[in-house]
Amino acid sequence: MQEAVATPWFRASFREWFLTTDHKKIGILYGLTSLLFFVVAGLMGMVIRLELTQPGLQYVSPDLYNYLLTGHGAVLLLWWAIAFWAAFTNFLVPILIGARDVAFPRLNQLSYWFFFTASVLVLITLIPGQHIKMMWTGYPPFSVHPNAGPTALYVLIVILIAGSTLGTGVNFITTVLKMRAPGMTLGSMNLVVHGLMASIVVQLLGVPSFVGAVVMLFLDRYLGTGFFDPAKGGDPVLYQHLFWFYSHPAVYVMILPGFGVFSEVLSTMSRKPIFGQKSMLYALWSIAGLGFFIWAHHMFSSGMPYWLRVFMSFTTVLIAVPTGIKIFNWVATLHKGAIHFNTPMLFTLGGIFMFLIGGLTGIPLALPAFNIHVHDSQFVVGHFHYVLGMAMTFAAFSGVYYWYPKVTGRMFPETLGKISFWMMMIGSNVLYFTQMVVGLMGMPRRYVDYPPIEAWINLNVIETVGAFILAAGILVTLIAWARGLKGPRAGRDPWGSPSLEWETASPPPPQNFDTFPVAVPADWTPYRFDGRTISGR
Amino acid sequence: MQMISVAEAASAVAPAIPLAYPAPYWDQMFSIWLSVAVGIYLVVAVPIFYFLYRYRYRPATNEQGAVEESGHGIEVLWTVIPLIIVIYLAVQSVAFYTEQRTPPANSLPVKAEGMMWSWQFEYPNGKRSLAELYVPVGKPVKLLLTSKDVIHAFHIPEAKVMEDAVPGRVTEMWFQFNETGEYRGYCREYCGTAHAYMLATIKVLTAEEFDEWLSQSG
Repeated sequence: MQEAVATPWFRASFREWFLTTDHKKIGILYGLTSLLFFVVAGLMGMVIRLELTQPGLQYVSPDLYNYLLTGHGAVLLLWWAIAFWAAFTNFLVPILIGARDVAFPRLNQLSYWFFFTASVLVLITLIPGQHIKMMWTGYPPFSVHPNAGPTALYVLIVILIAGSTLGTGVNFITTVLKMRAPGMTLGSMNLVVHGLMASIVVQLLGVPSFVGAVVMLFLDRYLGTGFFDPAKGGDPVLYQHLFWFYSHPAVYVMILPGFGVFSEVLSTMSRKPIFGQKSMLYALWSIAGLGFFIWAHHMFSSGMPYWLRVFMSFTTVLIAVPTGIKIFNWVATLHKGAIHFNTPMLFTLGGIFMFLIGGLTGIPLALPAFNIHVHDSQFVVGHFHYVLGMAMTFAAFSGVYYWYPKVTGRMFPETLGKISFWMMMIGSNVLYFTQMVVGLMGMPRRYVDYPPIEAWINLNVIETVGAFILAAGILVTLIAWARGLKGPRAGRDPWGSPSLEWETASPPPPQNFDTFPVAVPADWTPYRFDGRTISGR
Repeated sequence: MQMISVAEAASAVAPAIPLAYPAPYWDQMFSIWLSVAVGIYLVVAVPIFYFLYRYRYRPATNEQGAVEESGHGIEVLWTVIPLIIVIYLAVQSVAFYTEQRTPPANSLPVKAEGMMWSWQFEYPNGKRSLAELYVPVGKPVKLLLTSKDVIHAFHIPEAKVMEDAVPGRVTEMWFQFNETGEYRGYCREYCGTAHAYMLATIKVLTAEEFDEWLSQSG
């Protein structure tokens, strides 16, 4: 396999891609797989949106609708919001810490092919008769009921994804702890590396709980055990605890890398070190830790004990504090900067605003007195599309635009990037803000049809218009990325940043750097911009 | 097309006697949160827009950002103030939530059982009704929820309360309508093909009408 690693990605043959252990090629494989699923699940979302434009059944049957909802949710969470960051982790982390590759390249390869296998299984669910219809949460007893579709497929997909995740987890934690360039401390490392690492640590600690839950689900459905069956002394609410113990921290898996991207782009495009780098680190890691003590706010109406509802309400609102610190630090970074408004910066600023609204609408969901009316309503759906949907996607798009010259060696078309940003910003706000309003009025989520209440219909029409603007905006970005492959050459350091990835060629050579070791001075920081200028745009 | 503002959407209930209890607690929680949220939004958004304009890149006059900045004082400030705000919100929420969750002593107990895909209600005298919940006006009703098959949840938009109906346990919620008429109860936990059609009609009758209905053999 060594010969495969000796060829840069843009000249590699199919065989080399297939057998590669090069972290950059694996990163690109993750990215392309993830993007494909992003588009498919996005189109599922458009069908859902079209169906909800008017009450009654227009385009799909209730069963097909339930499958589309399950697919849209599960795929966008697992294949986009989590897996797209695996692309960033794979491509960027070894370069950003000045390493040749990851600690265990073959394990890394195995992780990708686990993920690939799970992807093939997801495509099988597209076949009629194989539709999984239990929502991405898979609550029993419904998920052990025949109406839910093939539970075994769901369980198998989760297990494969978990295998991939755990392999990536141990691999990158080892890489970052043991393979940093001489002189680089954990504290001076790029914030995006911390974001990606925090996300990986959370996965490593949480995923086993999720796997345990779905394995019990499997046993209940096919071998007749009674973990979640009250008739056999089990308890369906137990599943919800095990599920959310990972799946709530999973939202930080999706957003913490985005925080890292925001910090990188904001600092570079303001030509200023990030404000409060240390407090950024404390905030980031305390979100990752605290995230494990707040899961039951997803279950305020589940019938669990009153004291637990109150306790989880208090722990949940505490998350607002480190989150607030991050937002205020970003604002302070802009102060006395020299701010460039290019595409990566616009997506970062837009992402911060989406996150701000998503965060502010998340606080009341942590308050049982508020949650009691909006739980499982369209308000919740609007809220998490602000956070996980848009803040994460804006961060990911910002990151792709920012590192596009490094990955491809070319410059993307700036005008298309800006057009895409404004379309996405307008479309998503029209869509998701309206969705929250209709949710406050009581419209439930996961309904294929709804009573013909005039205000609900009007708001749903507005939502659909927003969805089309958003989808068109995403399409423009995909076109921009495709056309950028033939764009002008970018050079090593188009953004004038001292961070390590810009020291090497674009795209980086198979061994990442020309010479090893890549030693950095003791006072090195990736955020000192004196004397450098942006040549990109 | 009729436009609805956020405030209108949430506080359609303004008169002295609200349409349903315990909705006013939710309305208060909503207004408190909304004021806080708008305030925080402005505290973040206004400086961002000002800085974006004031410190934009300009050739020759503003090409490099400031090198170092420190500000421990302000960092303490934006740690402590949000902490106080969220603790206040959580404490306030517990106070309201206790009221929303505690049925008044004179509540009429009604058993509600969810099933794929309908609701069955059982009244103290053993009378049952399917998909129609009959309640007297101006009297609190305590629903004792459970499920025959999968998890469901009962939500009443006017009363702004919901609770899950879980097989193997009995959960509680209470509400009171102050005007007669017909309202909808929704299933709020996903339960399969006909989840969207698992609605109940809540028929709010006068006390006399209700007693008469209850005494008829069903």
